[in-house]
Amino acid sequence: MIFSKKSGGLSESRKKRLMRGRNKKAYFKLFGKSYNKNESVIGIAFMTPAVVLGLIFTILPMLISLSYAFTDAYMLDLTKAKWTGFENFIRLFGDTVLWKALVNTAIFVVIAVPVQLGIALGLALILNIKTLRCNTFFRWAFFCPVMLSLAVTSMLWMNLMDYNDGLINTLLESIGLGRQLFLKSETQALYVIIFISVWQGAGYQMLIFLSGLKNIPPELYEAASLDGASKVKQFFSITLPAIKPTFSYVMVTTLIGAFRLITQPMIMTGGGPLNSTLTMSYYIYLQGVKYWDVGYSSAIALFYTIIMSAVALTLRKITGGDNTGEG
Amino acid sequence: MLAFKQNMEERRQIVLRRIMHFIFYLFLASLCILFLFPVVWMVMNSFKSQEEVYATMSSWLTFLPSTWNITKWFDSYVKLFTTFDDFGRSIINSIIYCAVTITGILIINSFAGYALARFVFPGHKVLVTIIILLLIVPVETSIVPTYIILKNLGLLRTQFRVIGYLLPGLVSPMYIFMFRAYFLSIPKELEEAAYMDGCGKLKTYFTVIMPCCKPVFATVAIFAFMGQWNEYVFAQLMFSNPSLQPLQVYLQLVNNFNPKDISMVMASLTFSTVPIALVYIFCQRYIVEGVAFSGLK
Repeated sequence: MIFSKKSGGLSESRKKRLMRGRNKKAYFKLFGKSYNKNESVIGIAFMTPAVVLGLIFTILPMLISLSYAFTDAYMLDLTKAKWTGFENFIRLFGDTVLWKALVNTAIFVVIAVPVQLGIALGLALILNIKTLRCNTFFRWAFFCPVMLSLAVTSMLWMNLMDYNDGLINTLLESIGLGRQLFLKSETQALYVIIFISVWQGAGYQMLIFLSGLKNIPPELYEAASLDGASKVKQFFSITLPAIKPTFSYVMVTTLIGAFRLITQPMIMTGGGPLNSTLTMSYYIYLQGVKYWDVGYSSAIALFYTIIMSAVALTLRKITGGDNTGEG
Repeated sequence: MLAFKQNMEERRQIVLRRIMHFIFYLFLASLCILFLFPVVWMVMNSFKSQEEVYATMSSWLTFLPSTWNITKWFDSYVKLFTTFDDFGRSIINSIIYCAVTITGILIINSFAGYALARFVFPGHKVLVTIIILLLIVPVETSIVPTYIILKNLGLLRTQFRVIGYLLPGLVSPMYIFMFRAYFLSIPKELEEAAYMDGCGKLKTYFTVIMPCCKPVFATVAIFAFMGQWNEYVFAQLMFSNPSLQPLQVYLQLVNNFNPKDISMVMASLTFSTVPIALVYIFCQRYIVEGVAFSGLK
């Protein structure tokens, strides 16, 4: 009997509360829109943790970056920051290291992104051939490097490309090509990093392309071959349009990832030799954390955000507009 | 005679196709080698001793273990744990950081996704817009301002550093978006039945919504795990003290240690890869689905 109240349906007070909630729907108005009071309270309660953390660690950093960009803020004593107007931006245009970093990043993006996407799409198309033997083996083989983290990839290749003890230089010497400096060479280092990044990342995009290709209904191809369309024609008129949204999405994410390149140069070269692998993200990081020049670092970050957004948004427009899934 | 000629033609075609196939597979195989050899080399050389690594480097034996006595394979792993006192510690750190991050991310982001999918409240529209903007516009928020905020909050002090390291990663517009998209796709009646039975909103959430939406929770958990396990840049800024470092940062210490023991380095790299490899092998489906949740519809 004692338990009946708890286990047998609702308690009296609870029922009353529920009924009250249903009968007297409390509404309130805000900015000309009416909201259900109950719903609002619950919604806001669910939202609060994310909003608080998001404000502190996503929105606030942007505002800080934006405001410090016009000051001479110094990490050790931020309270002494003075308003300097556009001084940081004037300095930015005369900073040769920054331009070097920008060019390096541009080279990385322009080479790594198309090559990586091309390889990924090619591999996905090959793996999508139904009669391909050892399909699963090939898929896992190409996917294997993705399992390594960026830090592991960097350290592994550092060891592979070591001048004296590295596997690759041992191999090169044995076939008579001579040892290469690779990461220690001003001319080679950036391209080595591009190669390593493509090697590490292509498998992931391949997997996404492959799932996109698998979603194309086979009836389309059957109908096309009945109509006598050649394989090449089928590729251009069925395959490409069908995976366009996938391609657009993957391209923009790969592009933004490439713009933010930092881990590989940080571990493998420290930006050197002679700034030949310094990237924008890394330079912003160094200015802020190593030289403590928060003001200048913020100014570069702002400048870079504008460049990055412009490129990303333009590409998004070109390759198929909206792909966030939102109307 | 004509039949014979036709036969010849057919046979030529078949041979030609065979050759094409052979070239095609040769090409695929060489690509495979390019993709695989560093990983194979890493794993195999972690099973050797330092001397054996250098002794076999110039021959094909470099891709094979030097002995088939499996118990000997793990000598360098044992050496790794005994030489670097904090290696075990860094693994535990990584596991703790991952556990906290995954739990936090799942709760906080799914709450937000749920609120945005189910309730209309003041600021609802603004929040959705902000989230989508954050997804579209790539803002270069380097970790510098985050570092400043943590400094001002006092979270850079030794005893709070771990909190300071983990807090900024707990909210992600991407995860909120994924949760919201999934919640929008499940019928509202599900929860309404639970309300009728007198369940509170929070209880409904944990007993009805969460079990119904396992795929999205699994996907986000996997993404969060991989992100946190592989995270390097922020961790190396935050932790100079090896006893707090996660594995990815500690690897650097092993790699830069003088005198270098390459078999130990490879052992540490292999060891740190195993958990991620397991996740990929067993949860690949969720990862592919996750990409679908996050943008392609």
